[in-house]
Amino acid sequence: MPHTRYLVVGASHAGLEAVTAIRHWDAEGSLTVLSREAHRPYSPTILPYVVSGRSRPERVALKDAAWFEARKVDLRCGEEVVSIDTAGAVARTASGTEWRYERLLLATGAAPAVPPVPGLADVRFHVLRTLDDALALRDAGAGATTAVVLGAGLVGLHAAEVLAKAGARVAVVERQAHALPGYLDAPAAGIVEAAFRDRGIALMTGRTVSSVQSRDGRPVSVTLDDGGTLPADLLLVGTGVRPATGFLEGSGIAVGQGILVDDTMRTNIADVWAAGDVAQARAFFGAAPIVNGILPDAVEQGRIAGMAMAGDPALKPYIGGLPINTFPFFGRHAVSVGIAGEDDPSVEIHRRLDARAGLYSRLSLKDGRLIGVCTVGMPIDAGVMWQLISRRVDLAPVKQDFVVAPLDTGRALMSRLWR
Amino acid sequence: MADAAALLPNAPKTIVCDGNEAAAWGVVLSRPDVVAVYPITPQSSLVEYVSQFIADGTLDAELLNLEGEHSVLSALQGAALAGARTYTATCGPGLAFMFEPYVRTPGLRLPMVASLVTRDMLTPQCVWGGQQDAMTVRDCGWIHMYCETVQEVLDTTIMAYRIAEHRDVMLPVNVNHDGNYLSYGVARAEMPAQAAVDGFLGVKDVNWHAALDPLRPMAIDPLTGGAGGPGPSMFVRYRKGLCNGMRNALRVIEETHAEWGRLTGRHHAPLIEEYRLDDAEVALVTIGSMTGAAKDAVDALRSGGKRVGLIKVKTMRPFPVEAMARALSKVNAVAVVDRAVSYGWNAGPVYQETLGALYRARHMIPAVSVIGGLAGADITDGHFARCIGMAFAAAASGQAPDGPVWLNEND
Amino acid sequence: MPSYETIAFRAQDCDGCMKCVTACAQAKSGADDPAQSRIQILGAAGKWELALCRQCGDPKCVSNCPSAALAKDAETGVVAWDADRCVDCLLCTVGCAYAGITRDARVGHVSKCDLCDGDPACVKACDRGALTLNTAARIHRRAAEREDLFAPGLAACQGCNSELLIRHTLRHVGPNTVVATPPGCIPGMGTVGYNGRTGTKVPVFHPLLTNTASMLTGIKRYYKRVGRDDVQVLALAGDGGTSDAGFQSLSGAAERDEPMLYICVDNEGYMNTGMQASSATTYGSWTSTTPVGERLQGKSTEAKNLPVVMMTHNCSYVATAATAFLEDFYEKLDKAIEVSKTGMAYLHVFAPCPTGWRFGSDRTTDVCRLAVETNFFALWDYTPDAGLTFTRPTGRPRPVREYLAGIGKYRHLSEGQVAHIQATVERKIAHLRRFERTGA
Repeated sequence: MPHTRYLVVGASHAGLEAVTAIRHWDAEGSLTVLSREAHRPYSPTILPYVVSGRSRPERVALKDAAWFEARKVDLRCGEEVVSIDTAGAVARTASGTEWRYERLLLATGAAPAVPPVPGLADVRFHVLRTLDDALALRDAGAGATTAVVLGAGLVGLHAAEVLAKAGARVAVVERQAHALPGYLDAPAAGIVEAAFRDRGIALMTGRTVSSVQSRDGRPVSVTLDDGGTLPADLLLVGTGVRPATGFLEGSGIAVGQGILVDDTMRTNIADVWAAGDVAQARAFFGAAPIVNGILPDAVEQGRIAGMAMAGDPALKPYIGGLPINTFPFFGRHAVSVGIAGEDDPSVEIHRRLDARAGLYSRLSLKDGRLIGVCTVGMPIDAGVMWQLISRRVDLAPVKQDFVVAPLDTGRALMSRLWR
Repeated sequence: MADAAALLPNAPKTIVCDGNEAAAWGVVLSRPDVVAVYPITPQSSLVEYVSQFIADGTLDAELLNLEGEHSVLSALQGAALAGARTYTATCGPGLAFMFEPYVRTPGLRLPMVASLVTRDMLTPQCVWGGQQDAMTVRDCGWIHMYCETVQEVLDTTIMAYRIAEHRDVMLPVNVNHDGNYLSYGVARAEMPAQAAVDGFLGVKDVNWHAALDPLRPMAIDPLTGGAGGPGPSMFVRYRKGLCNGMRNALRVIEETHAEWGRLTGRHHAPLIEEYRLDDAEVALVTIGSMTGAAKDAVDALRSGGKRVGLIKVKTMRPFPVEAMARALSKVNAVAVVDRAVSYGWNAGPVYQETLGALYRARHMIPAVSVIGGLAGADITDGHFARCIGMAFAAAASGQAPDGPVWLNEND
Repeated sequence: MPSYETIAFRAQDCDGCMKCVTACAQAKSGADDPAQSRIQILGAAGKWELALCRQCGDPKCVSNCPSAALAKDAETGVVAWDADRCVDCLLCTVGCAYAGITRDARVGHVSKCDLCDGDPACVKACDRGALTLNTAARIHRRAAEREDLFAPGLAACQGCNSELLIRHTLRHVGPNTVVATPPGCIPGMGTVGYNGRTGTKVPVFHPLLTNTASMLTGIKRYYKRVGRDDVQVLALAGDGGTSDAGFQSLSGAAERDEPMLYICVDNEGYMNTGMQASSATTYGSWTSTTPVGERLQGKSTEAKNLPVVMMTHNCSYVATAATAFLEDFYEKLDKAIEVSKTGMAYLHVFAPCPTGWRFGSDRTTDVCRLAVETNFFALWDYTPDAGLTFTRPTGRPRPVREYLAGIGKYRHLSEGQVAHIQATVERKIAHLRRFERTGA
């Protein structure tokens, strides 16, 4: 039975960042990475660009072989962990190999959440979570004349843009009242929606698909809850993802919406950690733990988990997941960091909106501190804003400057903090 | 000295020289690698001889002219730790100035050889012979051997290297010869062949145990625990080790003298010499060059029918207590003649050692402490006859005088 | 982890002239538009700040990039951006706390500083020294290639620069070395080891306080004799072991120009044993044997000016150094090592002692720098042929008061004492100038 000091399951942002962190402290301890993917490690975020052709699939690997070799990492691709015996500290893979580990990181990510729509199970539909998904969608998109996308989230909208550019007539069905729910506030979403509609993409917000019609296992059309139908020779389900935790059944590892972890990303089992889209951790705002499910947070969690696993004394506990999203659309960008706080009367909100030009900014301050920022089409230093929010920097002394010129004021503050 | 190289013997030869030159020839024949010098009366001519030998190529050694005796011994410590066989000589105030590195050398177990051309100590100001310098440092861990004759100076200088470098010893050796009497006294001496000395000394073996050598990196003399930290056990182990080296040296000194005798036909007493002692009622105890006159006095009294003998101490450290106890057991009283004073005891150092040996022998006889030859003063055969008389008196009365007898008080 | 060159910013020296911004825009875009500069100066008069890529050691922009378009170049340390892979997602900007990577709408993608291949246009444009290219990394990289020849875990006081100094020195001098370190802070921190263990990977000896130079003489002379001339002997000694009790042996070795490298780490007193005064203790200093009270106000006499004393011996090389100016130290160390193959090289290194001098352990480098910038401790080197050369300008010194302030051992000084020290500093510099090289 192979034995490894560190076993990292999953080789995307959380897993790779954990590897980096482990090697900062422990240059020698045996380290094995298992990836269920046959491809070299890549980021799910790159997939829409693979579909569009902007990224060539052979060039999406996050790290090359030399990177793993230099860090003395045994990378095993095509090895999916199917069960874990936490008492024996053994992870079993689909190929039947059993890995004995001393410290285990679960960074297995999320899998598409497919809604229970009648008829959906009978047709070939697309999702976009793996490189193989992206290649299949890219090939299918080339021949599709009509496409329906379920869900106007980051993946769904991005794919809709790509499919439309490829020549298909595209409709997007979103259950919520506006696009990118949970990512952008309504005015920002309005600008995004307008951009899509301007390019002939039908955005059916507040609607759900009630059934799928098919022929020979291929979709023909979908029927909406208002009785309308949309032709669809390509169907993409982009209704979100859900932590992939099925393989943990019987392991004793506590799972809520995701794998429940503490502020060092440790699970309820002492030698098991979890990070990234599979983990459910403290939220920065609010008491309930969340599956934050964003790339920068996967990096952060992976780093913390790696430091904890290696025993790095420099470890500082996780401050909680903070929403951050960037959404590129038709060459423009929407960026949102933190929360809007619209329900909280004590939050001071500063908005600027030029709907015609497609420009928007919102600053949300509470008790003199930034809690959220959202912009469309305007320059913003998302990283600086993240720092100001997460460090709870007191902006009261510079509030006037900040509201007028958040960029320069934020940069100057961080420059001073850095020194 | 221009033809010094020509003097270097391929066969034994006879020379006429003083003790300082004899020591220098002993050094030449022992082939040290590094010699460090700083002059001081009455040692000066010794280091002048050695320097000239090096200048002439008679001795192939690195000559260090340093700025004082402290640096002389310090440099030699460095050289020895790097693997060198070393030599220097000093005395009196020079030895006092050397004291800080001097006390450290035995603990480092460096097998050095240094001559002490013994000199009395200040103050009163004095440049003359006496053994106060060497006796003052007798408990520092160096081996101390005192020579009686010019020949013994030459021979002992060579033997000292073999004793020092013996793996059971590994201690520095002082070869002591009396300032004035031996340093400047000229006599005939036999010089052994270089090849014979080379064979006798064998391969130099200096820093196998403790080296400052990048090829064998180690820390020399790291700090040890004492009252705090890990405790004093390591320190105690080193102290005991030094004592073991001293104990072993008694055997090695005897073996070395015996081997030297086989090689050269010259049999010097290694630890103590018993002279006409076997049927003696009383004995003189002497050390160093005074012994010649003392033997004359013994011979003269023997001619008159007095049963008197003599015990000469050659090896003062390690003190040969068993041999001394055996010798002392043969007589009923002794007079111990010292050329140094142990203040507070107000007696001579050899006298104290003699008392210790008598206790070891469980032989409680009267012992007279005599102090003479201070500041280069003569101890004549007349003085020794007087000492012998005091010994007989003590044997008869069972009492020795209180306090020491000062021989030269009225000279 | 290797170290790299970086652009350093001293806000107090920036006057907001924006020449750096223009230079960058010109260099990178051929335009004067400050928006196209990768360096931004922000804020207002008196409190200018900087937005610029810091070329982080563990860059979050790289970790956040889903397309592997960003990578830290192992050779140059530059966080490099690959246009061909970039998908314009802006996740890199999420990772950056300093706005060092931002989207340039004119070109339609992010842009960031690339250090101009090691010769940054912004630095060249800055005529006030607010922006400098910190090249200390060259030293660290060079040092990193060599083995650290001290054991880990030496127990120097917090803030002490001696450990830094001796580790870098021995890395440089190399393994074919015998080290002697007489009683003082350097053996006290564990270099000579405890209880049979060593703190140094080369042969090390704890000589007497008094005999470092002479025992090294013996070692070197023997190795020379046996054809191992390449064995280097190195003294790492304090000012007490050098200037006081050890001075005779040092003077002798210097007079004979013995081949050795002797480094005096000068913390101006016996700091290892409770801060007693030595001959190197400066005028006015509080120490535990020059205390401050009704009748005494610290040391009443001047320090022995040992580097000058050594200069007037027969040494082949004499230099002073301070760890705030490491490149200067390294240049001198290189010369000293070379010289010490045939003659004596004496380096006198300033070692402010946070514990004994009573200043914060985070201020050591500042204290070093101020000592040099006030001419309290001038940096120079000397060879018999070339004479004395100042290696840092001495022409426009800061007032010595700035150095004395914030050092506890000078806290009690009267105005008169401060004036006395200022006068002494000026006199010492004037004296040194007399040895200065007058031309090639």
